Amino acid sequence: MRKQEIAKKVFISVMAVVLFAVFTAISFAGEPTGNGRKGKYTYRKVYKACMERGEVQSERPIVNPSDKTMEQWKKVFETKDFADFKCSEEWGKLTPEDLEDIYTYLYSGAADSPTPATCK
Amino acid sequence: MNLFKNRFLNLLIIGLATLIFTGCVSQQVKTGAATPPVQTTSGASVKNSDPELSLMVSDEAEWRASEAKMMAAEWRFHNIVDTEFVKKYVTIPPAQGVTIIDSRPYLPKFIKGHIPTSINIPETKFNDMAKLIPSDKNRVLIFYCGGFECKLSHKAATIAEGLGYKNVNVFAAGFPGWVRDKNNYPSVSLEYVQQEIDDNKMLLVDSRPKKAKFDKGHIPTAISLPDADFEKLNGKLPKDMDNLLVFYCEGLECKLSHQSAKRAIALGYKNVKVFSDGYPAWKKAFGEKAQELPQAKSSKDEGVLDIEEFKKILAEKPDSIMLIDTRDPDEFKQGHIKSAINMNIDKLEKSVKELPADKMIVLVCSTGARSGEAYYMIQDVRPELKNVWYVDAGIKFNKDGSFTIAKPK
Repeated sequence: MRKQEIAKKVFISVMAVVLFAVFTAISFAGEPTGNGRKGKYTYRKVYKACMERGEVQSERPIVNPSDKTMEQWKKVFETKDFADFKCSEEWGKLTPEDLEDIYTYLYSGAADSPTPATCK
Repeated sequence: MNLFKNRFLNLLIIGLATLIFTGCVSQQVKTGAATPPVQTTSGASVKNSDPELSLMVSDEAEWRASEAKMMAAEWRFHNIVDTEFVKKYVTIPPAQGVTIIDSRPYLPKFIKGHIPTSINIPETKFNDMAKLIPSDKNRVLIFYCGGFECKLSHKAATIAEGLGYKNVNVFAAGFPGWVRDKNNYPSVSLEYVQQEIDDNKMLLVDSRPKKAKFDKGHIPTAISLPDADFEKLNGKLPKDMDNLLVFYCEGLECKLSHQSAKRAIALGYKNVKVFSDGYPAWKKAFGEKAQELPQAKSSKDEGVLDIEEFKKILAEKPDSIMLIDTRDPDEFKQGHIKSAINMNIDKLEKSVKELPADKMIVLVCSTGARSGEAYYMIQDVRPELKNVWYVDAGIKFNKDGSFTIAKPK
């Protein structure tokens, strides 16, 4: 009986931890919470500066929001792998708030979002 | 043991339910796109505009040849005067004992540009309108029209002399001769100002004192640049010296707009005009639509204009705001709010320094994405502009100038 009670407590504790972990992961793993409108401008501003520096030919961003799915954008910003975007100098200067805004903009216009968007 | 099994099954069910629930929640994305309650409303009316006035300034040799030809012509009036003679009488308030008469047609010539203080009596209507000239026969009359080749002023002067006027003159170089002098500027009429407001190619400048006059009422789209503060505030003027500037003040007796026009010319502006009839003429024609500066109520989001307030402004005082449609020109052509001007983000970025600081600016597009981007661009480049807003909603623009607006969820 004593063994049963211990096993029961252990099981409940493990389940509680697992459920909390799953819930937390799903709820906070990359849901963007920034300002997408501001992010759109900041994103373009990155390429304007980058073009003026001479790394890219156009101030039009080279990656559109609809070039990736929401899941793909989530991965990009979780891993902070911005290689596809080029212009690393400008990306390096962005604040965490700027990045969150850009993420929100890109995520909201992802290919599988309700409103897929180009950089128009 | 059975109890343990039952509890295990219960926990498993709760766990799975939680997983399904949180999974669903995670799929919800904040997009800002929404399509609920749709309401229809209309914008304000505007008119189309004619092309800009061309100021016919030919080269010196051609000019002199044209003058010589006129002097030799048998149709010319016997008393020809030059620009310096006319200048003496172009004073604000208008000189006593003198009437300067433009013999060209009112439309389209006179409204687009005439010698300041002159009145319009088209040669073809001279007999009907001669009563506009005071009856004092010793009065100095100066007739002019469209230059050396124009006969209208000569014909009208001959008729005036026949009516008994003793001091009749023809300024044969006419309006082209007047604007040939770079220190001179033309006056324009109410219709011209109205057209240019609609065309959005002009910077309209109110030269009157701000608090006492401008704030109590001014012509839509005008900026306040009191003549007394011209030197201090002339940074409000555009950098492009070819930009059309039209100054106005309190009517024919008011010097302020003329003084400001001369100051602008001295700064190097090449396309300066004065709406001499000024605000009294505008008020008479369009009523006293005082353009007090609205300060919008925002929604909870930064820079987002409350939709009901936006509709109220458009319904009641559309001219009190600068409404900028940030869509591309091809979309704008398909339909737009009538009082809107079109500047997509690229164009707006180039003109952002010319945006008025004393006027409410409202940005619109079809979803709020581009207008929002434009809002943050303005905040970044012109942080001193505090009365800038964007409409964060789905807007469908109709060909007739009406629009439907869908509130975001």
